[in-house]
Amino acid sequence: MIELRELTKRYGRQVAVDGLSFRVRPGVVTGFLGPNGSGKSTTMRMILGLDAPDGGEALIDGVRYGALDRPLTRVGALLDAGAFHPGRSARAHLSALAASNDLPRTRVEEVLRIVGLTGAAGRRTGTYSLGMRQRLGVAVALLGDPGVLLLDEPVNGLDPEGIRWIRDLLRGLAAEGRTVFVSSHLIAEMALTADRLVVIGRGRLLAETTVAELAAGGDTLEDAFFRLTSETTDYRGAEAA
Amino acid sequence: MRSATRMEWIKLRSVRSTWWLAIASVVAMAAAGAGVGLGYRSHAPVATVAQIFNNSLAGAILAQLLLGALGVLMVTGEYGTGMIRSTLAAVPRRRTVLAAKALVGGAAALTVGLAASFAGYLAGQLAIRGTAIPAASLGDWAILRAVLLTGAYLGATALIGVGLGTLLRHSGAAIGTLFALVFVPIFVVGLFGESGIAIGRFMPLLMLLNAVAVTTPTPGLFSGGVSVLLMCGYAAVAVLLGGVLLRRRDA
Repeated sequence: MIELRELTKRYGRQVAVDGLSFRVRPGVVTGFLGPNGSGKSTTMRMILGLDAPDGGEALIDGVRYGALDRPLTRVGALLDAGAFHPGRSARAHLSALAASNDLPRTRVEEVLRIVGLTGAAGRRTGTYSLGMRQRLGVAVALLGDPGVLLLDEPVNGLDPEGIRWIRDLLRGLAAEGRTVFVSSHLIAEMALTADRLVVIGRGRLLAETTVAELAAGGDTLEDAFFRLTSETTDYRGAEAA
Repeated sequence: MRSATRMEWIKLRSVRSTWWLAIASVVAMAAAGAGVGLGYRSHAPVATVAQIFNNSLAGAILAQLLLGALGVLMVTGEYGTGMIRSTLAAVPRRRTVLAAKALVGGAAALTVGLAASFAGYLAGQLAIRGTAIPAASLGDWAILRAVLLTGAYLGATALIGVGLGTLLRHSGAAIGTLFALVFVPIFVVGLFGESGIAIGRFMPLLMLLNAVAVTTPTPGLFSGGVSVLLMCGYAAVAVLLGGVLLRRRDA
């Protein structure tokens, strides 16, 4: 269970996250939707204690992330575009993180196998394709076998097979009773992966709903999403002549 | 803390830059030592023990920059790549992370620094074999002390690097600042002429060349041991300041 209470973040006069409150329940995949720049990544970083909120709090099973003992065993996170050193091998990267939380070395090989990177584990991650980097990010998230998973744009850069793999993996993890929270700006992909949706724009909560409810309005999911976020999109291209 | 230390040790040894900087430090000091020895072979009058020995550790000028960069990169390498977010998500207690980095980086740099220092000494001695120049023996406390203190000075430099890296978070900025801190004070001290030594004895490079890596410190300077302690003090200030900012800033 992830719980946000009036979570707020300001950068100077700009309010990136504005009094955000919602809960993410276990057992289902919850999609975190919003246009670019709506505050999704900032929210995720605050949940992980990487950025300090200016107001409110984010709790994981009732406690702040920073208060968790061996946090990787409680929360697994995939951060945007691979938070790892390009000169280090995937195996070394995972081994270092495993050591930090007293996880057994065998777990490193297990997650490498789960994400299909065993054959490339000795290579420097700088040589990886975007899809392989995302797979390594997923391996990091799974390393501690956590009950809560946070994934920021996990399908970015993945090919259709990779996207399906992520989708099945996330649904499987939720079916095991875990809390799965996935951000995306792609409504069509979220419609296939998520059950519940949290929609934000300009850092504010626009809707807490389900895919089924959102689609029940009559128009397509995409139209429904645009209707929700139309007031809050910062950058929009003009129509081509 | 123990697990965080293990993480930092795995991270340190699993990137190539660590090994290149370590090898370059040892090679730089060995090369400088050999160069000095060879240069003095045909020197007239015959060189003294102190002349050969003091100059044969001159490679530490370069080694301090290389090992300082090693310390810097332990931190800025993480900010440059986004790795810092993985690290801090795994160990949210930030001061523990920094303490582990300082411990691992300091111990590694001390080890490499000692190896480099011995390499400089040995290369210098080997290069003067068969000449009339008297050999410097490690049995002589003044010699052994200088070799050990030079290694310790180099270890402290890496810690200063860790601190600067944490403060500045950017490789170029932190390494540039490290260079500036090493070289700029020399010119400043020069401006004060004779009385410059009163402040010069606090300057890293002057301490290294005239108090640490020498048999007898230049009069007016602190002893080698006090100089190295002063370096450790600088390192502690840099790391502690870094720790304060690390705790307050968003990753």
